Amino acid sequence: MTLTDWLYQATRKLSRESAEQVRREIQEHYESARDTALACGSTSEQADRQALAALGDPRSANFEYRRVLLTAAEAKILRGGNWEAKAFCAHGTLRRALTAIPALALIAAIAFFATGRIELAKIALAAVVMTGLLFAAPLLPVYTAPRARIFRLVKWAAIAGAFALIMGADAMKMSWLIFSSLWPIAWIEWTRTSIRRKLPVARWPKQLYL
Amino acid sequence: MNFKGTLPTLILEALLHEPTHGYRIAQSIKARSHGVLDFKEGTLYPALHKLEQDGLVDSYDAVEKGRQRRYYRITDGGRATLAKDRAEWTALSRAVTTILGEA
Repeated sequence: MTLTDWLYQATRKLSRESAEQVRREIQEHYESARDTALACGSTSEQADRQALAALGDPRSANFEYRRVLLTAAEAKILRGGNWEAKAFCAHGTLRRALTAIPALALIAAIAFFATGRIELAKIALAAVVMTGLLFAAPLLPVYTAPRARIFRLVKWAAIAGAFALIMGADAMKMSWLIFSSLWPIAWIEWTRTSIRRKLPVARWPKQLYL
Repeated sequence: MNFKGTLPTLILEALLHEPTHGYRIAQSIKARSHGVLDFKEGTLYPALHKLEQDGLVDSYDAVEKGRQRRYYRITDGGRATLAKDRAEWTALSRAVTTILGEA
């Protein structure tokens, strides 16, 4: 095995930026180890072998690196979220149209309640919660880690509440439907949690707060 | 010897007196343990990144012998964590030594 092979295995599934960081620090380490071996009288070949052996198993290193550095999948979610946020913030008309949806849903819910159509009113109220979280949240002043934690707590409680509102007494019976339709959101949320652990708060984009 | 859980503490100890780079941290741990703690150096950097994420060390670039290097230094939080870890380790090792000494 050569250093290139070692680095290839150690950087598998890491984001481009993370992989570059790993290559830089391991290369630096390898050269120091090689210099020390050469200074102790080893031949060039022996020095290469010793320096590589000291690094250990690249798969173990890769496992450890993936726990602390951004993976390619996490970087993709960050990029995707940045694109959505930019599109949302850069187009005033789009922003106004999207933020009007929860307001319209609220008006509809009030109207349905007023006319006695309770089931429709519940659905409209659930739509207020869901679209409000989706479209109005980026406008909220959630830009510190403690506020973000509170917001996320409220968000999940509101999502659960919205489903309970729609399903009523059948919520438990239909839980399989809720879980299967929510799992993509849950997966993204799980990935974001992992990203939050890895990125310093100062580098969080707005979407990580939400 | 398997000492995976204690690697972060050993890194903090290696950084206690002066900032240094990864290779020197690894050599310091091996030398001070007289070769007993012979760990795989590829796992040193993930541990350093974790410590950095937790705010226990910070890093900066510097040049040594014409070579660009990443240096790590312990923070005040790192010193406090090291003091706590040292106290816990002393209590634990004393307890284990007492039990094993009874056998």
